[in-house]
Amino acid sequence: MKTTTRYIFSIASICLFISFISLSSVLVLISSDTVHAAVGCDLNDPDKDVARLFPDSTGYKTFYMSIDKKGGDPLVREIEKRLGDKFKGLYETADVPYTVYEIYKGTEKTGYIHGVNQKGQYGGIQVFLSLDMEGNIRNFYFQKLTSRAARVLREKSFGLQFVGLNLADFYNYDIQSGKNLSPGKLDNIQNPSLDAESDFRAALRATKKNLILMDEFVFDNKYLKK
Amino acid sequence: MISLYKVSYKNILRKKTRSILTIVGIALSAWVLASLMGFNKGYEAALNKDIDNMGFQVMLMAKGCPYEAATLMLKGGTGLRYLKESVADSILSEPEVERITSMLMQAVFDPNKGESGGISAYLGVDPATFPAMKTFLEFKQGKWFTDPEAFEVVMGYESAELEQREVGDKLLIPDKDVELTVVGILKRTGTQDDGTIFLPINAVQKIFGKEGEITSIGIKVKKEADIAKFEERLYTIPDVQVVSLAQVKQTIMNLMSTAKVMVFSIAVVAILIAMVGVINTILMSVFERFQEIGILKSMGAMPEDIFKLIWIETLILCFLGGVAGSTMAYGLSKVTEILVRKLLPYAPTGSLIQLDIKLICVTLGSVLIIGLISGLYPAWRAASIRPLDSIRSDIN
Repeated sequence: MKTTTRYIFSIASICLFISFISLSSVLVLISSDTVHAAVGCDLNDPDKDVARLFPDSTGYKTFYMSIDKKGGDPLVREIEKRLGDKFKGLYETADVPYTVYEIYKGTEKTGYIHGVNQKGQYGGIQVFLSLDMEGNIRNFYFQKLTSRAARVLREKSFGLQFVGLNLADFYNYDIQSGKNLSPGKLDNIQNPSLDAESDFRAALRATKKNLILMDEFVFDNKYLKK
Repeated sequence: MISLYKVSYKNILRKKTRSILTIVGIALSAWVLASLMGFNKGYEAALNKDIDNMGFQVMLMAKGCPYEAATLMLKGGTGLRYLKESVADSILSEPEVERITSMLMQAVFDPNKGESGGISAYLGVDPATFPAMKTFLEFKQGKWFTDPEAFEVVMGYESAELEQREVGDKLLIPDKDVELTVVGILKRTGTQDDGTIFLPINAVQKIFGKEGEITSIGIKVKKEADIAKFEERLYTIPDVQVVSLAQVKQTIMNLMSTAKVMVFSIAVVAILIAMVGVINTILMSVFERFQEIGILKSMGAMPEDIFKLIWIETLILCFLGGVAGSTMAYGLSKVTEILVRKLLPYAPTGSLIQLDIKLICVTLGSVLIIGLISGLYPAWRAASIRPLDSIRSDIN
C-alpha cells in the first residue's frame, strides 16, 4: 500500500511536469515568430510573376537564405571582396533574408528567380533576375524603382541588355568607378539617360550582388575565382 | 519541553536533499504565480501609459466609412473627405481638451511600384504639436523637422528600410516630381508609425494644393475629463466622425485575455506540480517514520498531535518555498520581463511586471493555503497509524 501510493504520486508528479514543459513550449513556439527581422525582397505577386518570367513553367518552390545562416561574418567579407564594395548603411546587413524561387517544368527544375534591394538616388530599388540552371540571366526586371529616369530604365530594351550575361561577365565591373575594367559583354549595357547615371550604376551593383549571392546560395560558388 | 514546531523542523532536516528539492519546486511555482499576477497588473498599466503616450485618445476626421476611419488610425491610409483647419481651433477651446494636433494624409499613385504600380502615402504633421504628443517616438538617426514649410521628411523604420533611406538622402514624391530631404529615421515602434512617411503639414498642403485643409485631428484629453461626454459633444459637429482609442484599448485587452488564459493554465499546472511534490515528500516521510509514529502514539501522543506535527512540516516547507519564490519573483522581475517581452506579439513600453507588497503577500498566502491542503492527506495517514501495527511491522 505504502509503495503503491508513493508510485502514484511520483507518476502524477512526472505527468504534471511533462504537461508544464509542453504548455510552456507551446507558448514559446506560438510566440517565437514575432521577432522583427530585416526586410527581404519578395516578388509582389509570385504566381503571376513566375508565369511571366518563365512562361513554360508549371510550378515553383520558395526557399529562404541569409548570409548570417550560411556563413556569418566571414561570408560577408567574402561577398564584399567579390563585389568590390562594402555592405553599406543601416539596411545592407548579414541578416537580410533572401527569397529564392526555384522554377519547375513538371518535375524538372528549369531556373531561378531572385531579387535584391539596392539603395537608389531617390528611393529603394528592387532588382529581380531570372536565371537558367547555369546562372545565365534570362530576364532583368525592376520590381520597384523610384527615379526621375524610371520610365526609360523600366523599358524592355534596357532589361534585354542583361540577357545572356552571367557572373563571369560582371567580375571586372568596378563598382567604385562604375567602369568595366576589361573589355567584355558588359560594355554593351548602355545607360539610357544622363539623368539616370546614379540609378544605372545602382542597377549594375544590384545585379552583380544578386549574381554573387546566387552563386553562394545556389550554384555552389561555380563562378568563384580560384 | 521541545515544541511541535521544533520537532517538525528537525524532521525536515533529516532528509535535507529531499526537503531542498521540494522547497525549490514550491519556490518555482510561487515565482510563476507572483510573476503572472505582477504581469496581469503591469500589462494593463503599461498599455494605459502607451495610449497616453500616443498623444491622443480621440481622433476626429471627416465623415465617411467608419471602417476606413479605423484603418486610417491603425494602418494609415487616406481620409475620404477633408476638414477645415478652423475646426481644430474650435475644438481647442473645449474645456476637456489638453492639446490637439492637425494631420493631413495624402497619397499618390507610383507607377514604378511593382508591375502595375502602387500607392505611396505621406502624413503631414505639425512640427510644433505632433512630436510633443508622440513623446515615445525615438530616433535611429537624425531628428524632427523644425521648419513647418521645409521639404523634409522623417521616416518610420519600415518605410525607410523599404526605400533604403538614411539621413541626408533624397526622397522623390512620384507624380509631383518633388524632392524631399530625409532628416530623421525613427526606431521601430511596432505601430503604424513604422510604415509612415512624415512631412511638415504646411509642406504637404503646398505640394498637394490642399491649403487650409486637414484630414484628421488628434485630441489629447485632460486626465480628469469625461471622455464619453466629450465624444458625444464632438458628434454634434457637422460632418465629422470620432474614433476613440478607448475602443482600440478594449480590443487589445480582449486579445490579451486569450493569452492570459493560456499563461494562467501554465501557472495552475505549476502549482499542481508543487502540490503533488509536497504530498509526495511528506507522505514518503510519514511512511519512513511508520514505526517512530507508532512509538510516539504508544507513549501517549494523540492522533491530533501527530496530525499537527505532519501538517506543520508541510507548512514549514511551503512557507520557505513561498518566501524563496516571492524573493525570486521580486529580484528577477526584470529578467522575467525581458523574457515576456520577447514572447509577446505586442508588448507596451514601460514596466510589464509590477510587483508590490500586496501581491507578494497574496502569493505567500496562496502557497500556504496550498500547503495546508496538500498536508491534509499525509497528516491524516500519519494520524491514523495504529501503534500495534507499526511496532509489529518490519523496519524495512
